[in-house]
Amino acid sequence: MSSHGHPRQGAILDVRDLSVSYRTTRAVDKVSLHINRGEIFGLLGPNGAGKTSTLSAIEGLLKPESGTVLVDGVDVQRHPSQAKSKMGVQLQATSFQAQLSVRQIVRLYAGLYGIELSDHQITENLDAIGLGHEALKLFKQLSGGQQQRLSLFIALIHDPVLLLLDEPTSGLDPQSRRQLWLRIEHLRDQGGSILLTTHSMEEAQAVCDRVAIIDHGNVLATDAPNELIEQHKDDPLVRHASRGAVTLEDVFIGLTGSEIRD
Amino acid sequence: MISAQSPTAAPSTHLIFTSLLRADFIVFLKNRKSLILSILLPYLILVSTNSKKGTANLGGSLFVIGLSITYGIASTSIMGYSLAVARDREKGVLQRLRVTPASAWAIMGSRLFVQVLANLIVALAVVVLGARIHHLSLSLGQYGLALLISILGGTMFLCIGQTLVALIKSSETVNSTARLLYIGLLFFGLLGQGGSLGHTWGTVARWTPVGTVMTLFAGVLNLAAWNSRDVQFLLAAIGYIVAFAFIGIRGFQWEAR
Repeated sequence: MSSHGHPRQGAILDVRDLSVSYRTTRAVDKVSLHINRGEIFGLLGPNGAGKTSTLSAIEGLLKPESGTVLVDGVDVQRHPSQAKSKMGVQLQATSFQAQLSVRQIVRLYAGLYGIELSDHQITENLDAIGLGHEALKLFKQLSGGQQQRLSLFIALIHDPVLLLLDEPTSGLDPQSRRQLWLRIEHLRDQGGSILLTTHSMEEAQAVCDRVAIIDHGNVLATDAPNELIEQHKDDPLVRHASRGAVTLEDVFIGLTGSEIRD
Repeated sequence: MISAQSPTAAPSTHLIFTSLLRADFIVFLKNRKSLILSILLPYLILVSTNSKKGTANLGGSLFVIGLSITYGIASTSIMGYSLAVARDREKGVLQRLRVTPASAWAIMGSRLFVQVLANLIVALAVVVLGARIHHLSLSLGQYGLALLISILGGTMFLCIGQTLVALIKSSETVNSTARLLYIGLLFFGLLGQGGSLGHTWGTVARWTPVGTVMTLFAGVLNLAAWNSRDVQFLLAAIGYIVAFAFIGIRGFQWEAR
């Protein structure tokens, strides 16, 4: 860890001692994590563990009680507009204005990131993601996979250095899910940095370079999926959860418990 | 589409605001049914009071026009605006906009700007229709002043609409509450101004947000009779704006959860 108050060298996202509270409940408790350039980082945790609160604080949607969030060296609290222009975000439940067509949505969000696109450029971009024929449709008229492609396209419209994805595969069929992971890996291979939350441990194990397991607002462990498995494979709780070779899911269950969360 | 290098600084405020305005105008134009409805009710009031008795019961032609404009802009601001914001908040549209570099003020300011424009259209349409139906000859200055009061009244009703979405999270409840409030204001204003509620309630009705704006409209349409009492109504309207804006902005939450 770098010395306090200085940006971590090479980190695209640097979160330090982040705490978020809702009235008397502390949802995130002094969480620290960083994401390097060209890295896919998974934030894993059961329901109510503090994943979305952490992500919301990074996105500037809520004001943390304490701690700092630096995106490519820019403080999200002090310079929100500049920090947000470096991030691409796909929220868990993305919804665009119901009355706007796909083309109008693209033009709006491009403008919000300082990009002016002609109709021709919008059509070209939509063609590239297989939505060229849907330009005049409303968002709600698109299929789930198409909506997801459009949301990801808009999140990337300004070439951000950091992409934040909140449960990006939720509700997608296997084909759309596979296509999405391929796109995310492709982005990483181009040097992009991605922070995502997911409930799919198999996908996190297969795709993420590093993961953090979070519960009750605390980071319990952070490392590469295989390293985490190696470190915890002999833990009795992990062995108890395992049905054969130890997986990331077994480590997750071992660390966070097996009781169902609401 | 993702960059390994740092992108430029924050985008210009001008481009952000024009992008939001363009989108909000499109939404406004696609919701033209509600705009037509908000002109239809004032039109019905104008037509139904187009008799000496009906007009006299409500305090004269100028009061009737003031009343009609007031209900028109109250309908777009209290019901239209508050419901649109509540629905967008519930669907996550506002949160999606907030993760962009657009500031909260730009997001809401653009919506309010479009709504003020809608109020101006309603006010202009009703003044023109009212003058024709009630055979009045208004000067250009009176039209201008009527539009100024419509901005003031519209702002006040928008602040009331903003207060509704600040105090109530569910769009369904906002919808039903806004309708009840609107109907309550409609009847209280009509009966109060018409004298059916007696002197005390008539006075109360005149100092309600609806009564205040109606009196101001009647005042600017009959400038010769403008007096210190109209100034008091002007101050009351400003007071309502400040109070409701304070509650509506301070208590507003961007998430429905």
